[in-house]
Amino acid sequence: MSFEQINSKVVRTEVAPGREVIARRGSMLGYEGQVTFRPISGQGQGIGGMIGSALAGESTSNMVAEGQGKVIYGFRGLHVTVVELGNETLTVEASRLLAYHAHLSVGVEMIAQGGIRQAVAGAMTGQGLFTSKISGVGTVALLSHGGTVELPLNGEQIGVDPQAYVGHTGALNVDLKAAVGFRDLVGRGSGEAFQLQLSGHGRVYVQASEEKF
Amino acid sequence: MASLSAHKKMLHADLTGDTIRAAQGSMVAYTGQVTFKNAGMGGGGGLRAALRQRVAGESINLMECQGQGRVYIAQSALDVTVVGLSNDKLTVESEHILAVTDGLKLDVQFSGLRGMTSGQGLATTSVSGTGQCAITSDGPLIGLAVVPGQPLVVDPDAYVAGTGNLQMNLVSGVTWRSVMGESGGEPFSLRFEGQGTVYIQPAER
Repeated sequence: MSFEQINSKVVRTEVAPGREVIARRGSMLGYEGQVTFRPISGQGQGIGGMIGSALAGESTSNMVAEGQGKVIYGFRGLHVTVVELGNETLTVEASRLLAYHAHLSVGVEMIAQGGIRQAVAGAMTGQGLFTSKISGVGTVALLSHGGTVELPLNGEQIGVDPQAYVGHTGALNVDLKAAVGFRDLVGRGSGEAFQLQLSGHGRVYVQASEEKF
Repeated sequence: MASLSAHKKMLHADLTGDTIRAAQGSMVAYTGQVTFKNAGMGGGGGLRAALRQRVAGESINLMECQGQGRVYIAQSALDVTVVGLSNDKLTVESEHILAVTDGLKLDVQFSGLRGMTSGQGLATTSVSGTGQCAITSDGPLIGLAVVPGQPLVVDPDAYVAGTGNLQMNLVSGVTWRSVMGESGGEPFSLRFEGQGTVYIQPAER
C-alpha cells in the first residue's frame, strides 16, 4: 500500500477498490490486472478544491486509477522521490506531483502570506503563489530534475533557491526574501537575489537543478 | 578552511568564515549565515584575467559565497566531482567549473586551433594553486591516466579537464572520404602526451 521504487525514475503501486490512486494525466507506463483510468479535474476535493486550483492556475490535470491491479508510473524521464507521510502535511507545487493515494486529503494554499510585496516577489521568481497541501497517512511520489535531497530542519533556518525548491513537510515558516541590490539592477548580481527562507521543524526537499516544470 | 565534498549531483561546501567562488546562480540551498555576491569581472581574478577573457571570448561568471555554514551547490542535475590540488594546475573547460576554494587562481589559457573545431572558443580556463575545485560533468566523470610513450586520444566534445604535464594536440582525421560526407563522425580528436590525468565525460556537448 505504498509506492515501490523500481528504479530512480519509475514507481509501482497497488490499486484496489477503496484504494484508488490519483496521478498526473499521461504518467501511466503500464499496468497489470483490471484497472481503469478516469480523468479528473482540479484536485478532486469538492468545490473548494476546484476554486482553489482554478485560482492557483494549477492546471495540471489528473487521472484516477480504479479497479484491482498494479500500476507503473513515470513521467518524462524525471526522477521520482517517494515521500512517506505519517500524519503530516506535505507542501508541494502541483506540477511536481506524480501520484498519491486518493485517501490523502489535498488542498491549495498560498505559499507566502506576506502581502503584496511577497506576491510580487513570488511572481518574479516564477515560484507559484499557490501550492498544494497533502496530508494524512500514506505515500506521495514527487517529480524532480536530477533527484532530491532531504534536508532536515530542527529549529534552524535554511535558505533555498526558489527554482530548486521541491516541497517540504511539517509546519515550516516560508518567507520569500528579496535581497535585490544595486548590483542586481545593473546585471552584476550573484544570481541569488531571491531566496526562500524556511524555518521550523520538518523536512525540506531540494533538487540538484534550477529547472522548473 | 572551506571544504568541498561531492554527493552525486550535489556539492556540499562547508564554510568557516571564509570565501569560495561558485558558478553564478548555482546555489540551491544553504544553512547558516552566508552572503552571495558577484565576484566581478574575470571571476575575481583581477583586471588582467578579465581582459584576457574578453579577448578569448571565454565567459565564466562566478559569485562569491562568504560566511559560516553549509552551501548546497548544483547545476542542471549534472554530476559533481571534487578535485584536490596541491600547488598544481588543472585545465578545465570553463563551463564545467562549479566551485573553487579561496586558494585557487583562475586564468585563461589559449589553446589554439582546438577550440575552433569544438566550438568552445579559443581558450580554456586553468585553475592553479592549492585547494579544491569542483567540476561538473554530464554523467560520471572518468579519469584516464596518460603515461610517457602511451598517448591518449579523446573526443574534443567529451573532454572536460586535464592535470599534470600534458601536451595537447589536435589531430584531424579528415580524408577525402569525410569531405564526400562519408565520415565516421569523428573528424577531430585530441591527443595527449606526457604524464598526467585527463578527465572526460560519457556524453558529447
